[in-house]
Amino acid sequence: MATPRQNTLAMALTRISEAVDDFMLEQAVVSIADLYGVKSIAFLGTGIPGRPTDPVLAVTYSTDWVEHYKRQCYAKVDPVIQEGFSRLLPFDWTEFGPFEGQVRKLFGEAAEFGLGRQGLTIPVRGPGGDRSLFTITSDLGPREWHCLKAEFLWDFHVLAVHVHEKARQLGGDLIQTLKLSPRELECLQWISEGKTAWECGQILGISEHTVRCYLEAARNKLNAVSNTHAVSLAHSAGLFIPRL
Amino acid sequence: MILTIESPERSNFSDLIDDMFRMRAEVFSGRLGWEVTVNGGREIDRFDDEDPIYLVSVDERTGLLRGALRLLPTTGPNMLSDVFGVLTPEGAPQSPLIWESSRFAINPRVLAGEDRANANHRVNAVTLELLCGIVEICRISGIEHIVSVFDARMARIFRAVDCPFRVIGTPTKIGKTMTYAALFEMSDGMRQRLGRVGGFDKPVLTSMTALAN
Repeated sequence: MATPRQNTLAMALTRISEAVDDFMLEQAVVSIADLYGVKSIAFLGTGIPGRPTDPVLAVTYSTDWVEHYKRQCYAKVDPVIQEGFSRLLPFDWTEFGPFEGQVRKLFGEAAEFGLGRQGLTIPVRGPGGDRSLFTITSDLGPREWHCLKAEFLWDFHVLAVHVHEKARQLGGDLIQTLKLSPRELECLQWISEGKTAWECGQILGISEHTVRCYLEAARNKLNAVSNTHAVSLAHSAGLFIPRL
Repeated sequence: MILTIESPERSNFSDLIDDMFRMRAEVFSGRLGWEVTVNGGREIDRFDDEDPIYLVSVDERTGLLRGALRLLPTTGPNMLSDVFGVLTPEGAPQSPLIWESSRFAINPRVLAGEDRANANHRVNAVTLELLCGIVEICRISGIEHIVSVFDARMARIFRAVDCPFRVIGTPTKIGKTMTYAALFEMSDGMRQRLGRVGGFDKPVLTSMTALAN
């Protein structure tokens, strides 16, 4: 029979595995925070293949904080970001203390936005140079915080890697769900090489109007606002076939 | 004592890291004749650019480098999956709970002037200290196993210090030497066992992170 603890991990892993898009992945992260009774969780992935946006973010806290953080350019001073990606061991935020100057301001404001005063970050490495940071925060006192870490470090390792894997998979799924028809892809690829719709038509032996229809369909499937946007998305999703 | 050096801390230990790269050249290229790239007397490979952790054994009194090794997570680039794929035809282990140890070396200068029996004793002592260090760092970080690729010579040393391992995949002759991939269990039992053999009943790691407090 499974112990409650194993149940918690199993439930958390199920949530992650059920995610079919980034929104659900974020919801999974929210439920993990609930399951473990921590104040917040933040996943920050970089270099994940098939992703038009970098970094990939899945956080439990409000977008207000994310926006504020960006506006203040805190990534430039945040020691978690500055050092975390080249670290390997899980690290506690207290390692960076006592905080001074901008860093002190950053952590102070983070607490005001409800991030919790204690923080533990687990670095994750992927096979292709992709890396991420999985951060858990809490408002527990030092003693309880230490116990929580000791009890769940193993779980957090496993969860961190599964969230990372899922973020990779969703990048890959992006390619799958964005499957363009051969004609749509062909037209888009000629556009990416600087041809006009008329030229595409000449090359493929179809009318310019038909080319425009294929491009419209491709833009639609990729959720792109323009041909240039579609080309960029298709490129980062690795859809283009290399020309021999 | 064992120092744990993470990538952002390398600049604080630049001399020691440099000594380590020189020692690796001397041991791997010079003594063992491995086909490794040596530049300016230093052996550095592409995995040193992957921000690994180094465990470094240093003599407390003289500051002399006694030995070192390198740790990388198996979820990222590592030697077993990217270089020694032939050893694990079924696929190399890839898990957040398994790290890889590589570039294990004992400084030949530790052995200078010792006769054969004493030299062996010194090799075993430094090996045991480093192994205790690996188990300690893994226990702190929640890592359950270490995977490592090694040759028959290293296998003999592991047996001599009574460090159990479980061979995985298919041992293969690479170049002149038989090469193994094996898993080491990172348990409290393992730490006690190695500590008993080597006389290390207290922690060997000096820079304990906040996690250990």
